[in-house]
Amino acid sequence: MGLGGPAHAAECYADYKAKQDNPLRLQYGVAQISGQCSKAAAQRQLQQRLGAQGWTLLNVVSVFGPEGLAQRRDSAGSNFLRF
Amino acid sequence: MPDPTSSASDMRRSGGRLIATGIFAVAALLVIGAVVMFWALPDANAFNARVERIFIENDTLTSASEIKLLEILAQSGTAFSDTLTNYRVLIGVLLIFAAAMLVAAVVFLMLLITFNRRMAQIERTGIQVSSLLISREENKVYLNNMGFSLTAAAMETLAVLAEARMDDEIMTGSEIEGVISGRSAADCDEAAGATRIKRLRDTLGNQMVSELLVKNIARRGYMLAIDKDVIKVL
Repeated sequence: MGLGGPAHAAECYADYKAKQDNPLRLQYGVAQISGQCSKAAAQRQLQQRLGAQGWTLLNVVSVFGPEGLAQRRDSAGSNFLRF
Repeated sequence: MPDPTSSASDMRRSGGRLIATGIFAVAALLVIGAVVMFWALPDANAFNARVERIFIENDTLTSASEIKLLEILAQSGTAFSDTLTNYRVLIGVLLIFAAAMLVAAVVFLMLLITFNRRMAQIERTGIQVSSLLISREENKVYLNNMGFSLTAAAMETLAVLAEARMDDEIMTGSEIEGVISGRSAADCDEAAGATRIKRLRDTLGNQMVSELLVKNIARRGYMLAIDKDVIKVL
């Protein structure tokens, strides 16, 4: 369980890449993950949340705690904690 | 056991089959070409998939402007693939035209060869009557637009023969004489009809030979109306 450090953190976030087809639109975003803090869990949750909005999850880049939010806020832009 | 034989009509039939096979082969080749062309051209999604892979593989391409650029890249690729689709249709249409032209060319070539062969045959058989026009008022008969004047009696004989030919009938000498003199055929002499035929042949043959072979040039003399290359003396 201890692998990856942030598994026990109270707050867990993941940054991901997603797409929409026809025309191709790309998205890099940050989202909060509930429960276990792992890439697999993040993948499961994000697939559902993005799928509901018509987006397809491409991959989960990483999972991190609240300390990683600041450095990703600019890149994610409007997709920061959108889903 | 039958001998293996080959006749001219057999050859013509096999030639026709060869032409059909050839045309079919040309059409089949063009169809294969079209299929390969349509199959080989990249589809619209190829560009999007490539851009998507670049996006996944590079974790540094995450800022909004970079993502926007990647999207534009994909869009321009899609626009290009639209152009390719247009080209594909264009090439397809041209291919169809080319196929039609090729097949038409082959067909016309074959027709030309056949016509040449028939021409040579006609040249060998001498005169081929393609039109016979009997003009009773001028006492003239036009064979292939060559006019020959006949005596009234010969005219009568020719008209009777032409009428019989139109009804697909064959007439004996006494029948001909009967029709012309207005008596019944049983009362007529076979020799009288034969004489009429002989006179018709003499006048018509004489004029035809003078028109086609032995020409009379006014105030100069006589000359064979043929190419000098075709003359051979054994």
